[in-house]
Amino acid sequence: MPREPEPSNNEKAFVLEALQQGLRVDGRQLDEFRKVDISFGEEFGLADVKLGRTRVIARVSAEVTKPYPDRPFEGIFSITTELGPMASPAFEVGRSTEQEVLLARLIEKAIRRSNAIDQESLCIVAGQKCWSVRADVHFLDHDGALVDASCIAVVAALAHFRRPDVSVQGEKVIIHTLTERVPVPLSILHHPICVTFSFFLGGAIVLMDATLQEEQLREGDMTITLNKHGEVCQISKAGGTAIEAVVLMRCANQALLVVCQVTELLMKKLEEDQAKRVRRDNLLEASAENDRKMRSEFV
Amino acid sequence: MPRIQVKQPFFANTTYFKYLQLTPAMSRYELLSPEGLRIDGRRWNELRRISAQMSTQSAADGSSYLEQGNTKIICTVTGPAEKGSGGAGGEGDASVVFEVNYAAFSGTERKKRGRGDKRVAEMQSALQRTFGSVILTHLFPRSEIVITLHILSQDGSVLATCINATTLALIDAGIPLYDYVTACTAGSSSTYMPGEENADPMLDLNAIEEGDLPCLTLATVGGGERIALCNMENKVQLSRLEGIIAVAVGGCTELRVVLDGVVRKWGTEVLRRRGESERVGGKGDT
Repeated sequence: MPREPEPSNNEKAFVLEALQQGLRVDGRQLDEFRKVDISFGEEFGLADVKLGRTRVIARVSAEVTKPYPDRPFEGIFSITTELGPMASPAFEVGRSTEQEVLLARLIEKAIRRSNAIDQESLCIVAGQKCWSVRADVHFLDHDGALVDASCIAVVAALAHFRRPDVSVQGEKVIIHTLTERVPVPLSILHHPICVTFSFFLGGAIVLMDATLQEEQLREGDMTITLNKHGEVCQISKAGGTAIEAVVLMRCANQALLVVCQVTELLMKKLEEDQAKRVRRDNLLEASAENDRKMRSEFV
Repeated sequence: MPRIQVKQPFFANTTYFKYLQLTPAMSRYELLSPEGLRIDGRRWNELRRISAQMSTQSAADGSSYLEQGNTKIICTVTGPAEKGSGGAGGEGDASVVFEVNYAAFSGTERKKRGRGDKRVAEMQSALQRTFGSVILTHLFPRSEIVITLHILSQDGSVLATCINATTLALIDAGIPLYDYVTACTAGSSSTYMPGEENADPMLDLNAIEEGDLPCLTLATVGGGERIALCNMENKVQLSRLEGIIAVAVGGCTELRVVLDGVVRKWGTEVLRRRGESERVGGKGDT
Protein backbone atom coordinates (compact mmCIF):
# COMPACT_ATOMS: atom_id res chain seq x y z
CA MET A 1 0.00 0.00 0.00
CA PRO A 2 2.55 2.67 0.91
CA ARG A 3 4.72 4.12 -1.80
CA GLU A 4 8.39 3.37 -1.63
CA PRO A 5 9.98 6.12 0.43
CA GLU A 6 12.34 8.14 -1.70
CA PRO A 7 15.88 8.50 -0.50
CA SER A 8 16.42 11.59 1.60
CA ASN A 9 18.29 14.58 0.21
CA ASN A 10 21.27 13.67 2.35
CA GLU A 11 21.37 10.14 1.02
CA LYS A 12 21.02 11.40 -2.51
CA ALA A 13 23.83 13.89 -2.13
CA PHE A 14 26.05 11.29 -0.49
CA VAL A 15 25.55 8.66 -3.16
CA LEU A 16 26.07 11.10 -6.04
CA GLU A 17 29.13 12.65 -4.44
CA ALA A 18 30.62 9.20 -3.87
CA LEU A 19 29.90 8.23 -7.47
CA GLN A 20 31.72 11.28 -8.72
CA GLN A 21 34.74 9.96 -6.88
CA GLY A 22 34.23 6.53 -8.38
CA LEU A 23 32.97 4.93 -5.16
CA ARG A 24 29.80 2.94 -4.63
CA VAL A 25 28.00 2.63 -1.34
CA ASP A 26 28.54 -1.13 -1.13
CA GLY A 27 32.19 -0.84 -2.09
CA ARG A 28 31.93 -2.37 -5.56
CA GLN A 29 33.59 -1.05 -8.68
CA LEU A 30 31.39 0.82 -11.13
CA ASP A 31 31.48 -2.10 -13.53
CA GLU A 32 31.22 -4.92 -11.03
CA PHE A 33 28.32 -7.34 -10.91
CA ARG A 34 27.19 -8.53 -7.51
CA LYS A 35 28.00 -12.06 -6.47
CA VAL A 36 25.52 -14.46 -8.02
CA ASP A 37 24.37 -17.40 -5.92
CA ILE A 38 22.36 -20.13 -7.66
CA SER A 39 20.84 -23.07 -5.86
CA PHE A 40 18.37 -25.67 -7.04
CA GLY A 41 15.47 -27.33 -5.32
CA GLU A 42 14.60 -30.95 -4.69
CA GLU A 43 12.28 -31.29 -7.65
CA PHE A 44 13.37 -30.45 -11.15
CA GLY A 45 12.80 -26.93 -12.33
CA LEU A 46 13.21 -24.90 -9.16
CA ALA A 47 15.99 -22.31 -9.11
CA ASP A 48 16.77 -19.90 -6.32
CA VAL A 49 18.99 -16.99 -7.33
CA LYS A 50 20.52 -14.49 -4.94
CA LEU A 51 22.09 -11.36 -6.39
CA GLY A 52 23.45 -9.61 -3.35
CA ARG A 53 20.30 -9.05 -1.29
CA THR A 54 17.93 -9.48 -4.20
CA ARG A 55 16.36 -12.92 -4.11
CA VAL A 56 14.28 -14.46 -6.86
CA ILE A 57 12.83 -17.95 -7.27
CA ALA A 58 11.78 -19.38 -10.60
CA ARG A 59 9.69 -22.49 -10.97
CA VAL A 60 9.21 -24.30 -14.24
CA SER A 61 6.37 -26.75 -14.80
CA ALA A 62 4.95 -28.45 -17.84
CA GLU A 63 1.63 -29.92 -18.82
CA VAL A 64 0.13 -31.34 -21.98
CA THR A 65 -2.36 -29.14 -23.82
CA LYS A 66 -3.58 -28.33 -27.28
CA PRO A 67 -1.24 -26.06 -29.26
CA TYR A 68 -2.33 -22.70 -30.62
CA PRO A 69 -4.28 -23.17 -33.87
CA ASP A 70 -1.99 -20.88 -35.84
CA ARG A 71 1.11 -22.69 -34.61
CA PRO A 72 0.36 -26.40 -34.68
CA PHE A 73 3.99 -27.50 -34.71
CA GLU A 74 5.12 -25.58 -31.67
CA GLY A 75 4.65 -25.96 -27.98
CA ILE A 76 3.62 -23.18 -25.66
CA PHE A 77 6.03 -21.34 -23.44
CA SER A 78 4.94 -18.62 -21.04
CA ILE A 79 6.64 -16.69 -18.29
CA THR A 80 4.76 -14.97 -15.50
CA THR A 81 6.41 -12.37 -13.36
CA GLU A 82 4.26 -10.84 -10.71
CA LEU A 83 5.64 -8.41 -8.21
CA GLY A 84 4.13 -8.92 -4.82
CA PRO A 85 4.43 -7.34 -1.38
CA MET A 86 6.93 -10.00 -0.35
CA ALA A 87 9.57 -8.35 -2.46
CA SER A 88 8.88 -4.86 -1.27
CA PRO A 89 5.98 -3.13 0.50
CA ALA A 90 5.72 -0.77 -2.45
CA PHE A 91 4.34 -3.55 -4.67
CA GLU A 92 0.70 -4.53 -4.60
CA VAL A 93 -0.84 -7.77 -5.75
CA GLY A 94 -3.03 -7.51 -8.80
CA ARG A 95 -2.18 -3.91 -9.58
CA SER A 96 -0.23 -3.90 -12.80
CA THR A 97 2.21 -1.05 -12.42
CA GLU A 98 4.43 0.30 -15.13
CA GLN A 99 7.44 -1.33 -13.52
CA GLU A 100 5.78 -4.72 -13.61
CA VAL A 101 4.79 -4.38 -17.25
CA LEU A 102 8.30 -3.35 -18.22
CA LEU A 103 9.81 -6.20 -16.23
CA ALA A 104 7.48 -8.73 -17.83
CA ARG A 105 8.20 -7.39 -21.31
CA LEU A 106 11.96 -7.42 -20.73
CA ILE A 107 11.99 -11.01 -19.53
CA GLU A 108 9.73 -12.02 -22.39
CA LYS A 109 11.94 -10.36 -24.99
CA ALA A 110 15.08 -11.75 -23.44
CA ILE A 111 13.96 -15.35 -23.08
CA ARG A 112 10.88 -16.03 -25.12
CA ARG A 113 11.45 -13.91 -28.20
CA SER A 114 15.09 -14.84 -28.43
CA ASN A 115 14.06 -18.51 -28.65
CA ALA A 116 15.95 -19.75 -25.62
CA ILE A 117 13.77 -22.86 -25.77
CA ASP A 118 13.22 -24.72 -29.00
CA GLN A 119 9.44 -24.62 -29.03
CA GLU A 120 9.17 -27.07 -31.88
CA SER A 121 10.69 -29.74 -29.68
CA LEU A 122 7.75 -29.33 -27.32
CA CYS A 123 5.34 -30.62 -29.91
CA ILE A 124 3.95 -34.13 -29.27
CA VAL A 125 1.27 -34.64 -31.90
CA ALA A 126 1.09 -31.81 -34.40
CA GLY A 127 -2.04 -29.78 -34.01
CA GLN A 128 -3.38 -31.79 -31.11
CA LYS A 129 -1.02 -32.23 -28.23
CA CYS A 130 1.97 -30.29 -27.12
CA TRP A 131 3.81 -29.39 -23.98
CA SER A 132 2.93 -26.10 -22.37
CA VAL A 133 5.96 -25.02 -20.38
CA ARG A 134 5.34 -22.38 -17.79
CA ALA A 135 7.92 -20.45 -15.80
CA ASP A 136 6.71 -18.64 -12.71
CA VAL A 137 8.96 -16.09 -11.14
CA HIS A 138 8.52 -15.15 -7.50
CA PHE A 139 10.32 -12.15 -6.12
CA LEU A 140 11.30 -12.66 -2.53
CA ASP A 141 13.51 -9.69 -1.90
CA HIS A 142 13.99 -6.48 -3.84
CA ASP A 143 17.37 -4.83 -3.70
CA GLY A 144 17.65 -3.69 -7.28
CA ALA A 145 18.41 -5.56 -10.51
CA LEU A 146 15.17 -7.54 -10.54
CA VAL A 147 15.44 -8.06 -14.29
CA ASP A 148 18.95 -9.46 -14.07
CA ALA A 149 18.13 -11.78 -11.21
CA SER A 150 14.88 -13.07 -12.68
CA CYS A 151 16.50 -13.72 -16.06
CA ILE A 152 19.23 -15.81 -14.45
CA ALA A 153 16.62 -17.60 -12.35
CA VAL A 154 14.41 -18.48 -15.32
CA VAL A 155 17.32 -19.67 -17.43
CA ALA A 156 18.66 -21.73 -14.53
CA ALA A 157 15.25 -23.25 -13.85
CA LEU A 158 14.75 -24.09 -17.52
CA ALA A 159 18.15 -25.72 -17.73
CA HIS A 160 17.43 -27.67 -14.55
CA PHE A 161 13.93 -28.78 -15.48
CA ARG A 162 13.17 -32.31 -16.68
CA ARG A 163 9.89 -33.10 -18.31
CA PRO A 164 8.31 -36.57 -18.33
CA ASP A 165 9.21 -38.68 -21.32
CA VAL A 166 6.50 -39.21 -23.90
CA SER A 167 5.95 -42.02 -26.37
CA VAL A 168 3.53 -41.71 -29.23
CA GLN A 169 1.87 -44.78 -30.74
CA GLY A 170 -0.27 -43.62 -33.62
CA GLU A 171 -2.90 -41.44 -32.02
CA LYS A 172 -2.27 -42.63 -28.49
CA VAL A 173 0.13 -40.65 -26.36
CA ILE A 174 1.64 -42.21 -23.27
CA ILE A 175 3.18 -39.90 -20.71
CA HIS A 176 5.62 -41.87 -18.63
CA THR A 177 5.93 -41.05 -14.96
CA LEU A 178 9.16 -39.77 -13.57
CA THR A 179 10.00 -43.15 -12.10
CA GLU A 180 9.06 -45.17 -15.17
CA ARG A 181 11.44 -43.50 -17.57
CA VAL A 182 14.23 -41.01 -17.06
CA PRO A 183 12.80 -37.52 -17.50
CA VAL A 184 14.01 -35.53 -20.45
CA PRO A 185 15.63 -32.09 -20.26
CA LEU A 186 14.21 -29.23 -22.32
CA SER A 187 15.93 -28.34 -25.55
CA ILE A 188 17.68 -25.08 -24.70
CA LEU A 189 19.28 -23.31 -27.62
CA HIS A 190 21.16 -20.63 -25.71
CA HIS A 191 21.32 -19.04 -22.28
CA PRO A 192 20.40 -15.34 -22.39
CA ILE A 193 21.51 -13.26 -19.44
CA CYS A 194 20.37 -9.69 -18.80
CA VAL A 195 22.67 -6.96 -17.55
CA THR A 196 21.27 -3.62 -16.47
CA PHE A 197 23.27 -0.40 -16.55
CA SER A 198 22.29 2.77 -14.71
CA PHE A 199 23.25 6.30 -15.71
CA PHE A 200 23.90 9.23 -13.44
CA LEU A 201 24.80 12.87 -13.85
CA GLY A 202 23.67 13.27 -17.42
CA GLY A 203 25.26 10.05 -18.62
CA ALA A 204 28.71 10.82 -17.24
CA ILE A 205 28.66 7.93 -14.78
CA VAL A 206 27.67 4.41 -15.74
CA LEU A 207 27.01 1.71 -13.15
CA MET A 208 26.41 -1.95 -13.61
CA ASP A 209 23.90 -3.81 -11.46
CA ALA A 210 22.37 -1.10 -9.29
CA THR A 211 21.08 -1.72 -5.78
CA LEU A 212 17.65 -0.44 -4.82
CA GLN A 213 19.05 2.83 -3.52
CA GLU A 214 21.03 3.43 -6.70
CA GLU A 215 17.97 2.52 -8.77
CA GLN A 216 15.87 5.15 -7.02
CA LEU A 217 18.46 7.82 -7.72
CA ARG A 218 19.38 6.97 -11.28
CA GLU A 219 18.52 9.18 -14.20
CA GLY A 220 18.37 6.53 -16.89
CA ASP A 221 18.90 2.84 -17.40
CA MET A 222 19.56 0.33 -20.12
CA THR A 223 19.18 -3.44 -20.15
CA ILE A 224 21.23 -5.52 -22.57
CA THR A 225 20.69 -9.24 -22.92
CA LEU A 226 23.47 -11.36 -24.36
CA ASN A 227 24.44 -14.99 -24.46
CA LYS A 228 27.91 -16.38 -24.16
CA HIS A 229 28.24 -16.71 -27.95
CA GLY A 230 28.32 -12.94 -28.23
CA GLU A 231 24.82 -12.55 -29.61
CA VAL A 232 22.87 -9.60 -28.38
CA CYS A 233 19.35 -10.85 -27.75
CA GLN A 234 17.78 -7.53 -26.93
CA ILE A 235 18.66 -3.98 -26.01
CA SER A 236 16.23 -1.83 -24.14
CA LYS A 237 17.05 1.74 -23.37
CA ALA A 238 13.69 3.35 -22.99
CA GLY A 239 14.26 7.01 -22.44
CA GLY A 240 15.87 8.53 -19.41
CA THR A 241 18.97 10.61 -19.77
CA ALA A 242 20.66 10.46 -23.16
CA ILE A 243 24.01 8.71 -23.44
CA GLU A 244 26.74 8.77 -26.05
CA ALA A 245 26.90 5.99 -28.61
CA VAL A 246 30.42 5.03 -27.51
CA VAL A 247 29.16 4.54 -23.98
CA LEU A 248 26.50 2.20 -25.26
CA MET A 249 29.06 0.09 -27.08
CA ARG A 250 31.32 0.04 -24.05
CA CYS A 251 28.43 -1.17 -21.91
CA ALA A 252 27.66 -3.90 -24.42
CA ASN A 253 31.24 -5.14 -24.34
CA GLN A 254 31.35 -5.07 -20.54
CA ALA A 255 28.08 -6.94 -20.44
CA LEU A 256 29.53 -9.70 -22.60
CA LEU A 257 32.26 -10.37 -20.04
CA VAL A 258 29.77 -10.57 -17.22
CA VAL A 259 27.47 -12.82 -19.21
CA CYS A 260 30.28 -15.27 -19.92
CA GLN A 261 31.15 -15.41 -16.23
CA VAL A 262 27.56 -15.93 -15.13
CA THR A 263 26.95 -18.62 -17.76
CA GLU A 264 30.07 -20.43 -16.58
CA LEU A 265 28.86 -20.26 -12.99
CA LEU A 266 25.45 -21.55 -14.03
CA MET A 267 26.94 -24.51 -15.88
CA LYS A 268 29.10 -25.31 -12.88
CA LYS A 269 26.14 -25.24 -10.51
CA LEU A 270 24.09 -27.41 -12.84
CA GLU A 271 26.86 -29.97 -12.99
CA GLU A 272 27.22 -29.98 -9.21
CA ASP A 273 23.52 -30.49 -8.79
CA GLN A 274 23.50 -33.27 -11.35
CA ALA A 275 26.41 -34.99 -9.58
CA LYS A 276 24.61 -34.70 -6.27
CA ARG A 277 21.48 -36.31 -7.70
CA VAL A 278 23.40 -39.15 -9.30
CA ARG A 279 25.14 -39.86 -5.99
CA ARG A 280 21.84 -39.79 -4.14
CA ASP A 281 20.09 -42.01 -6.66
CA ASN A 282 22.96 -44.48 -6.59
CA LEU A 283 22.83 -44.64 -2.81
CA LEU A 284 19.12 -45.41 -3.02
CA GLU A 285 19.86 -48.23 -5.43
CA ALA A 286 22.53 -49.60 -3.10
CA SER A 287 20.14 -50.46 -0.26
CA ALA A 288 17.90 -53.13 -1.78
CA GLU A 289 16.34 -54.79 1.24
CA ASN A 290 13.27 -52.70 1.78
CA ASP A 291 12.89 -52.09 -1.91
CA ARG A 292 12.24 -55.73 -2.74
CA LYS A 293 9.22 -55.78 -0.50
CA MET A 294 7.88 -52.51 -1.94
CA ARG A 295 8.44 -53.56 -5.56
CA SER A 296 6.36 -56.71 -5.18
CA GLU A 297 3.37 -54.58 -4.28
CA PHE A 298 3.52 -52.77 -7.62
CA VAL A 299 3.96 -55.81 -9.85
CA MET B 1 26.92 -4.65 -72.01
CA PRO B 2 28.64 -7.02 -69.59
CA ARG B 3 26.49 -9.79 -68.25
CA ILE B 4 25.86 -9.23 -64.58
CA GLN B 5 27.04 -12.28 -62.67
CA VAL B 6 24.52 -13.00 -59.94
CA LYS B 7 26.36 -14.42 -56.97
CA GLN B 8 25.00 -17.82 -56.09
CA PRO B 9 24.92 -18.84 -52.42
CA PHE B 10 27.00 -21.84 -51.46
CA PHE B 11 23.99 -24.13 -51.24
CA ALA B 12 22.78 -23.28 -54.75
CA ASN B 13 22.66 -26.87 -55.87
CA THR B 14 20.51 -28.13 -53.04
CA THR B 15 16.78 -28.69 -52.97
CA TYR B 16 16.55 -26.20 -50.12
CA PHE B 17 17.72 -23.41 -52.43
CA LYS B 18 15.16 -24.36 -55.05
CA TYR B 19 12.55 -24.40 -52.29
CA LEU B 20 13.58 -20.87 -51.28
CA GLN B 21 13.14 -19.64 -54.82
CA LEU B 22 9.70 -21.16 -55.08
CA THR B 23 8.29 -19.93 -51.78
CA PRO B 24 6.73 -16.48 -51.82
CA ALA B 25 8.22 -15.57 -48.42
CA MET B 26 11.04 -13.10 -48.65
CA SER B 27 14.38 -14.61 -47.77
CA ARG B 28 17.26 -12.39 -46.73
CA TYR B 29 18.84 -13.12 -50.03
CA GLU B 30 16.16 -11.10 -51.82
CA LEU B 31 15.93 -8.15 -49.46
CA LEU B 32 19.06 -6.68 -50.99
CA SER B 33 19.53 -7.30 -54.68
CA PRO B 34 23.00 -7.82 -56.09
CA GLU B 35 22.90 -4.30 -57.48
CA GLY B 36 22.39 -2.95 -53.97
CA LEU B 37 18.71 -2.09 -54.27
CA ARG B 38 16.14 -2.97 -51.65
CA ILE B 39 12.66 -4.17 -52.40
CA ASP B 40 11.34 -0.62 -52.62
CA GLY B 41 14.24 0.54 -54.75
CA ARG B 42 16.21 2.33 -52.05
CA ARG B 43 19.88 1.92 -51.34
CA TRP B 44 21.09 0.79 -47.98
CA ASN B 45 21.48 4.26 -46.50
CA GLU B 46 18.42 6.01 -47.87
CA LEU B 47 15.49 7.12 -45.76
CA ARG B 48 11.97 6.72 -47.04
CA ARG B 49 9.97 9.62 -48.39
CA ILE B 50 8.96 11.85 -45.48
CA SER B 51 5.88 14.02 -45.60
CA ALA B 52 5.06 16.08 -42.53
CA GLN B 53 2.41 18.62 -41.67
CA MET B 54 1.95 20.63 -38.52
CA SER B 55 -1.14 22.10 -36.90
CA THR B 56 -3.44 19.61 -38.57
CA GLN B 57 -5.93 19.59 -35.69
CA SER B 58 -7.13 23.02 -34.66
CA ALA B 59 -8.78 21.71 -31.50
CA ALA B 60 -5.54 20.50 -29.95
CA ASP B 61 -2.81 22.71 -28.55
CA GLY B 62 -0.38 21.15 -30.97
CA SER B 63 -0.70 18.50 -33.64
CA SER B 64 1.19 16.94 -36.46
CA TYR B 65 0.78 14.36 -39.19
CA LEU B 66 3.82 12.44 -40.27
CA GLU B 67 4.31 9.94 -43.06
CA GLN B 68 7.50 7.95 -43.32
CA GLY B 69 6.99 5.86 -46.42
CA ASN B 70 3.70 4.12 -45.75
CA THR B 71 3.79 4.49 -41.99
CA LYS B 72 1.29 7.22 -41.16
CA ILE B 73 0.84 8.72 -37.72
CA ILE B 74 -1.22 11.55 -36.28
CA CYS B 75 -0.05 13.15 -33.07
CA THR B 76 -1.96 15.60 -30.90
CA VAL B 77 -0.68 17.42 -27.83
CA THR B 78 -2.84 18.89 -25.09
CA GLY B 79 -1.24 20.89 -22.39
CA PRO B 80 0.31 21.90 -20.19
CA ALA B 81 -2.97 21.74 -18.32
CA GLU B 82 -4.12 21.19 -14.80
CA LYS B 83 -3.93 17.62 -13.66
CA GLY B 84 -7.33 15.92 -13.74
CA SER B 85 -7.58 14.30 -10.36
CA GLY B 86 -3.91 14.04 -9.73
CA GLY B 87 -4.20 14.54 -6.04
CA ALA B 88 -3.45 17.55 -3.96
CA GLY B 89 -0.31 19.48 -4.64
CA GLY B 90 1.14 17.29 -7.30
CA GLU B 91 4.69 16.13 -7.46
CA GLY B 92 6.73 19.02 -8.72
CA ASP B 93 7.55 18.85 -12.40
CA ALA B 94 4.97 18.44 -15.13
CA SER B 95 4.01 14.91 -15.94
CA VAL B 96 4.01 13.70 -19.51
CA VAL B 97 1.35 11.16 -20.41
CA PHE B 98 1.28 9.24 -23.66
CA GLU B 99 -1.59 7.43 -25.24
CA VAL B 100 -0.93 5.26 -28.25
CA ASN B 101 -3.79 3.99 -30.40
CA TYR B 102 -3.29 1.52 -33.16
CA ALA B 103 -6.15 1.86 -35.59
CA ALA B 104 -7.70 -1.52 -36.30
CA PHE B 105 -7.17 -0.96 -40.03
CA SER B 106 -3.51 -0.01 -39.68
CA GLY B 107 -2.02 -3.44 -40.24
CA THR B 108 -2.33 -5.90 -43.07
CA GLU B 109 -5.06 -7.71 -41.15
CA ARG B 110 -7.78 -6.00 -39.19
CA LYS B 111 -6.96 -6.32 -35.53
CA LYS B 112 -8.48 -4.38 -32.68
CA ARG B 113 -6.05 -4.09 -29.81
CA GLY B 114 -7.29 -4.50 -26.29
CA ARG B 115 -6.77 -1.96 -23.55
CA GLY B 116 -4.20 -3.87 -21.62
CA ASP B 117 -1.90 -4.71 -24.48
CA LYS B 118 1.55 -5.01 -22.96
CA ARG B 119 3.37 -3.96 -26.11
CA VAL B 120 1.40 -0.75 -26.26
CA ALA B 121 1.97 -0.14 -22.56
CA GLU B 122 5.69 -0.63 -23.04
CA MET B 123 5.71 1.75 -25.98
CA GLN B 124 3.86 4.38 -23.98
CA SER B 125 6.28 4.02 -21.12
CA ALA B 126 9.29 4.30 -23.44
CA LEU B 127 7.91 7.44 -25.09
CA GLN B 128 7.08 8.94 -21.72
CA ARG B 129 10.56 8.42 -20.38
CA THR B 130 12.18 9.68 -23.56
CA PHE B 131 10.26 12.91 -23.74
CA GLY B 132 10.12 13.34 -19.99
CA SER B 133 13.79 14.20 -20.01
CA VAL B 134 13.68 16.36 -23.16
CA ILE B 135 10.71 18.57 -22.33
CA LEU B 136 11.52 21.33 -19.86
CA THR B 137 9.08 19.96 -17.33
CA HIS B 138 10.38 22.07 -14.49
CA LEU B 139 8.76 25.10 -16.12
CA PHE B 140 5.26 23.71 -15.58
CA PRO B 141 5.01 22.31 -12.06
CA ARG B 142 1.93 20.35 -11.08
CA SER B 143 0.58 20.20 -14.61
CA GLU B 144 0.10 17.53 -17.21
CA ILE B 145 0.97 17.27 -20.88
CA VAL B 146 -1.08 14.64 -22.70
CA ILE B 147 0.19 13.37 -26.03
CA THR B 148 -2.01 11.12 -28.12
CA LEU B 149 -0.71 9.17 -31.06
CA HIS B 150 -2.92 7.53 -33.66
CA ILE B 151 -1.27 5.01 -35.88
CA LEU B 152 -3.19 4.95 -39.14
CA SER B 153 -0.91 2.74 -41.16
CA GLN B 154 1.91 0.46 -40.08
CA ASP B 155 4.74 -0.17 -42.48
CA GLY B 156 7.72 -0.62 -40.19
CA SER B 157 9.52 1.85 -37.92
CA VAL B 158 6.33 2.61 -36.02
CA LEU B 159 8.02 3.64 -32.76
CA ALA B 160 10.52 5.81 -34.62
CA THR B 161 7.81 7.60 -36.56
CA CYS B 162 5.84 8.10 -33.34
CA ILE B 163 8.82 9.86 -31.81
CA ASN B 164 9.30 12.09 -34.84
CA ALA B 165 5.62 12.99 -34.98
CA THR B 166 5.64 13.78 -31.26
CA THR B 167 8.60 16.13 -31.68
CA LEU B 168 6.77 18.06 -34.37
CA ALA B 169 3.54 18.22 -32.40
CA LEU B 170 5.33 19.44 -29.27
CA ILE B 171 7.03 22.18 -31.26
CA ASP B 172 3.67 23.11 -32.73
CA ALA B 173 2.19 23.31 -29.25
CA GLY B 174 4.93 25.65 -28.20
CA ILE B 175 6.15 23.39 -25.40
CA PRO B 176 9.85 24.06 -24.77
CA LEU B 177 12.22 21.21 -25.60
CA TYR B 178 15.96 20.96 -25.12
CA ASP B 179 16.33 19.86 -28.72
CA TYR B 180 14.70 17.79 -31.44
CA VAL B 181 14.30 14.10 -30.70
CA THR B 182 14.55 12.17 -33.93
CA ALA B 183 14.39 8.44 -34.36
CA CYS B 184 14.87 5.87 -37.06
CA THR B 185 15.44 2.15 -37.47
CA ALA B 186 18.37 0.23 -38.82
CA GLY B 187 18.87 -3.43 -39.47
CA SER B 188 21.69 -5.78 -40.21
CA SER B 189 21.47 -7.19 -43.68
CA SER B 190 24.32 -9.60 -43.17
CA THR B 191 23.08 -13.01 -44.12
CA TYR B 192 24.34 -16.44 -43.40
CA MET B 193 26.20 -16.45 -46.66
CA PRO B 194 29.99 -16.39 -46.53
CA GLY B 195 31.63 -13.20 -47.66
CA GLU B 196 28.76 -11.06 -46.44
CA GLU B 197 30.50 -10.15 -43.21
CA ASN B 198 30.79 -6.50 -44.16
CA ALA B 199 27.39 -6.07 -45.69
CA ASP B 200 26.07 -2.60 -44.98
CA PRO B 201 23.35 -2.25 -42.39
CA MET B 202 20.07 -1.01 -43.86
CA LEU B 203 18.47 2.25 -42.78
CA ASP B 204 14.78 2.89 -42.17
CA LEU B 205 13.22 -0.53 -42.47
CA ASN B 206 9.77 -1.14 -43.79
CA ALA B 207 7.45 -3.87 -42.51
CA ILE B 208 8.79 -6.67 -44.69
CA GLU B 209 12.39 -5.93 -43.80
CA GLU B 210 11.50 -5.57 -40.13
CA GLY B 211 9.96 -9.00 -40.11
CA ASP B 212 13.05 -10.58 -41.53
CA LEU B 213 16.04 -8.67 -40.24
CA PRO B 214 17.23 -7.93 -36.74
CA CYS B 215 16.09 -4.37 -36.32
CA LEU B 216 17.15 -1.59 -33.96
CA THR B 217 15.15 1.57 -33.21
CA LEU B 218 17.31 4.45 -32.12
CA ALA B 219 16.37 7.97 -31.04
CA THR B 220 18.89 10.76 -30.59
CA VAL B 221 18.57 14.19 -29.07
CA GLY B 222 19.74 17.09 -31.17
CA GLY B 223 20.88 15.07 -34.14
CA GLY B 224 24.18 14.29 -32.45
CA GLU B 225 25.35 11.11 -30.83
CA ARG B 226 23.40 11.33 -27.61
CA ILE B 227 21.08 8.36 -27.63
CA ALA B 228 17.78 8.80 -25.84
CA LEU B 229 16.15 5.54 -26.83
CA CYS B 230 17.54 2.30 -28.14
CA ASN B 231 15.35 -0.75 -28.63
CA MET B 232 16.19 -4.00 -30.23
CA GLU B 233 14.19 -7.19 -29.92
CA ASN B 234 16.01 -9.57 -32.23
CA LYS B 235 19.31 -11.36 -32.02
CA VAL B 236 22.34 -9.84 -33.62
CA GLN B 237 26.05 -10.49 -33.28
CA LEU B 238 27.79 -8.04 -31.00
CA SER B 239 30.35 -7.29 -33.70
CA ARG B 240 27.62 -6.02 -36.02
CA LEU B 241 26.01 -3.85 -33.38
CA GLU B 242 28.38 -0.93 -33.74
CA GLY B 243 27.76 -0.68 -37.47
CA ILE B 244 24.01 -0.73 -37.04
CA ILE B 245 24.12 1.94 -34.35
CA ALA B 246 26.39 4.13 -36.49
CA VAL B 247 24.00 3.91 -39.44
CA ALA B 248 21.00 4.67 -37.22
CA VAL B 249 22.73 7.69 -35.69
CA GLY B 250 23.45 8.97 -39.18
CA GLY B 251 19.81 8.51 -40.11
CA CYS B 252 18.69 10.44 -37.04
CA THR B 253 21.00 13.31 -37.93
CA GLU B 254 19.52 13.43 -41.42
CA LEU B 255 16.02 13.33 -40.00
CA ARG B 256 16.71 16.26 -37.72
CA VAL B 257 17.64 18.36 -40.72
CA VAL B 258 14.45 17.31 -42.50
CA LEU B 259 12.19 17.97 -39.51
CA ASP B 260 13.87 21.30 -38.86
CA GLY B 261 13.14 22.26 -42.44
CA VAL B 262 9.49 21.31 -41.93
CA VAL B 263 9.25 23.42 -38.78
CA ARG B 264 10.86 26.44 -40.39
CA LYS B 265 8.66 26.19 -43.45
CA TRP B 266 5.58 25.98 -41.27
CA GLY B 267 6.80 28.87 -39.14
CA THR B 268 7.26 31.03 -42.23
CA GLU B 269 3.77 30.06 -43.36
CA VAL B 270 2.26 31.01 -40.01
CA LEU B 271 3.97 34.39 -40.11
CA ARG B 272 2.81 34.96 -43.66
CA ARG B 273 -0.80 34.15 -42.74
CA ARG B 274 -0.63 36.40 -39.73
CA GLY B 275 0.81 39.18 -41.85
CA GLU B 276 -1.95 38.75 -44.42
CA SER B 277 -4.71 38.70 -41.83
CA GLU B 278 -3.34 41.87 -40.29
CA ARG B 279 -3.43 43.58 -43.65
CA VAL B 280 -6.93 42.28 -44.38
CA GLY B 281 -8.05 43.26 -40.88
CA GLY B 282 -7.65 46.84 -41.90
CA LYS B 283 -4.58 47.82 -39.98
CA GLY B 284 -3.25 49.26 -43.16
CA ASP B 285 0.34 50.11 -43.71
CA THR B 286 1.84 53.33 -42.78
